[in-house]
Amino acid sequence: MWKYAKWTFRIVVVLFVASFLHYTLPQHDVVRITNTYNRLTTVGAENSWAYSVPDTGTAESATQRDIRFIDAAFEDGSVIVYRNEDTGWVWPPYFKYDSSNLQAEAGNLKSTVAAQTWVSVTHYGWRFPFLSIYPNAVNVKQVAGPDVQIIPWVNIVVLIALALGLFMIRRMWQQFWERTVEPAVAEVGETWDGVEASAGAAAGSAKGVLGRLMTWFASWGRKSKR
Amino acid sequence: MIGILRSVVVGFILLTIVYLTVAMYSRSVRREKLEKAFDVGDIDGDRDTYIKDGMQEYEHGLKRRLLWLIYIVPSAIVAVTVYLVNYQ
Repeated sequence: MWKYAKWTFRIVVVLFVASFLHYTLPQHDVVRITNTYNRLTTVGAENSWAYSVPDTGTAESATQRDIRFIDAAFEDGSVIVYRNEDTGWVWPPYFKYDSSNLQAEAGNLKSTVAAQTWVSVTHYGWRFPFLSIYPNAVNVKQVAGPDVQIIPWVNIVVLIALALGLFMIRRMWQQFWERTVEPAVAEVGETWDGVEASAGAAAGSAKGVLGRLMTWFASWGRKSKR
Repeated sequence: MIGILRSVVVGFILLTIVYLTVAMYSRSVRREKLEKAFDVGDIDGDRDTYIKDGMQEYEHGLKRRLLWLIYIVPSAIVAVTVYLVNYQ
């Protein structure tokens, strides 16, 4: 039972972190822009997390906003709709404040089925029709054709940096246990031994409980000895 | 504009927390190394003096100064991101 609970918890945490990264990190779509427009959009409680915070400049009101959109089509004919909003200065950390310019660039790169212009749209976020949420376009760049492969350098660097950061946090935590907590626990144990010696047998049972508790605490941070 | 100020303040506080914890860790690692080096037994003199001198050397050394990168690198990344997203 406990084992299942532990694994469920771990899987939920991994899924949460993975979807968070998938939402936040930039992705590239090679598409053809078919339309650019503004639309008065209602942002509700269920989907406001996928829109910019109200004070970014392009989002004036919390419930209804005039949002810029970019329609696009993939080579296979399937379509995608991007929103084009400033991100604000904290999260997600794209520091985008050129939505008007981006809309103009996107409009300039519009094309028809007859005369095709292919662009790589850098974006983050998800398209969920039932929640009415749209990925936010960050950049558009003209590319040679629909088969262009784009190497996600930003994602590679960010993921490596995150892994290094986790490794560092682990090392720091181990150092903290080995150098600060374990000596403190040992000292408590020694002090207690002294108290016990003078107080006599009455303290015996209490030391058993406390001593075991301290050993247990210390075992959390046990570091493989080099 | 208020948004910029707010994120500068928040970022500065976060980076300061990171800086202080990493500085503590780095100092602790340095001290452990000095202790272990002395305990091998090749070094004459007082153990505490040896460690104190070693720590003083560390405080003025290059490795200690490199910790300022904790402030510099993220600021540079933000500047590059702002440039790439808005001016390209």
